[in-house]
Amino acid sequence: MRMSPEAAGRTAHARSGVRPTGSRTAEAGLRWLLVLWGDLCLAAGMAGRGKLIAVIGDEDTVTGFLLGGIGELNKNRHPNFLVVEKDTTINEIEDTFRQFLHRDDIGIILINQYIAEMVRHALDAHQHSIPAVLEIPSKEHPYDAAKDSILRRARGMFTAEDLR
Amino acid sequence: MAAPDLRAELDSLLLQLLGDLEELEGKRAVLNARVEEGWLSLAKARYAMGAKSVGPLQYASHMEPQVCLHTSEAQEGLQKFKVVRAGVHTPEEVGPGEAALRRRKGPAKTPEPQSSEAPQDPLNWFGILVPHSLRQAQASFRDGLQLAADIASLQNRIDWGRNQIRGLQKKLKQLEPGAA
Repeated sequence: MRMSPEAAGRTAHARSGVRPTGSRTAEAGLRWLLVLWGDLCLAAGMAGRGKLIAVIGDEDTVTGFLLGGIGELNKNRHPNFLVVEKDTTINEIEDTFRQFLHRDDIGIILINQYIAEMVRHALDAHQHSIPAVLEIPSKEHPYDAAKDSILRRARGMFTAEDLR
Repeated sequence: MAAPDLRAELDSLLLQLLGDLEELEGKRAVLNARVEEGWLSLAKARYAMGAKSVGPLQYASHMEPQVCLHTSEAQEGLQKFKVVRAGVHTPEEVGPGEAALRRRKGPAKTPEPQSSEAPQDPLNWFGILVPHSLRQAQASFRDGLQLAADIASLQNRIDWGRNQIRGLQKKLKQLEPGAA
C-alpha cells in the first residue's frame, strides 16, 4: 500500500531518532534540577561551621590576632594558638605545628617567619592546600621573601632546560 | 596537533602564575604594614594601661571565635578562602501588618532571648574602658585577617598553577622528546 507523503515523513522522523519536543523539555528540566541541587549542596556546605585560623607567634602577634577574634579555647579542645616565649622549646613548637596540620577544623596557620625557620623541615614537608601556612614578620625579624616556603618552591620551578 | 595547544595552555598558565606572584607580593606588603600598625597600637595601649596589662595574662579562659573561614573549591584541587565574621545578625524586618499583629498580642510575652552563641568581643578582656589605641590595634589585625585569607587563596592558586605547569611540561616532553 502506498504511503502518503505525510505519513512517510512521520515514519522517517521516528526512525531518525529525533526526539519529540516534550522529551527535550523534560531533559532540560532534569538538567536544571541537577545544577540547582549541586548549588544547594555547595551553599549548605559553606553555611556550616567554618574553619578556624590558628596562630603561632610571639606575644604581640598572638595578642593582636586574638583581638581580631580568631581565638578558640574551651575545655574540650586544644587552643588554636601558641605564644612562643624565650623558654619555649623547638619540640613544643613543632608538636603544636603538627597538631594544627592534622586538625581538620583549621584552615590557615599564621606563623612568625623566625619561628617558621625553626620548623622549616616540617613546613617544607607540608604539601596539602589545607591548612594553608602563612609566614608573617615579627617585630625583631622583618619579612624575608627568600625564606618563604611557597615562594622558594615557585622560584625553583624554572630551570634552564624547562625554558628551552 | 596537540603540541601547539599544549604550548598555548602552558603560556597562559605561566602568565597567570606571574600575575598571581605579583599580586601576592602586593598583598603581602599591605599585610605586613597592617600587622606593624597593629604592633605600634598595642605598644601605645601598653604604655597607657601598664606594661603587664596587654598580654597573655588577660586572655579569657573561654574563647569563642568571632571570625570563621569558609573554603570553596573553584576547580579540582584549588581551594579558596573567605573570612566570615560570626554573630552578624541582620535586623529583623517587620512589615506594617505584622507590627499591628504584634501589638495586639500585648506585652505579656517575654522577649525572645538573644542568641546565646554571640561571641564576646576580645576587647572586653582588657577592661570596660579601653584606650583608643587598643581599638585601633583590633581594627588593624582584623584587616590583616581579611588579607591573610586572600594571600592563602593566592598561595594555593600559585601551588596549583605550578603543578599544572609541571604536568603540561611532562606531556610536552612525551610528545616532543627531540625538543627536550
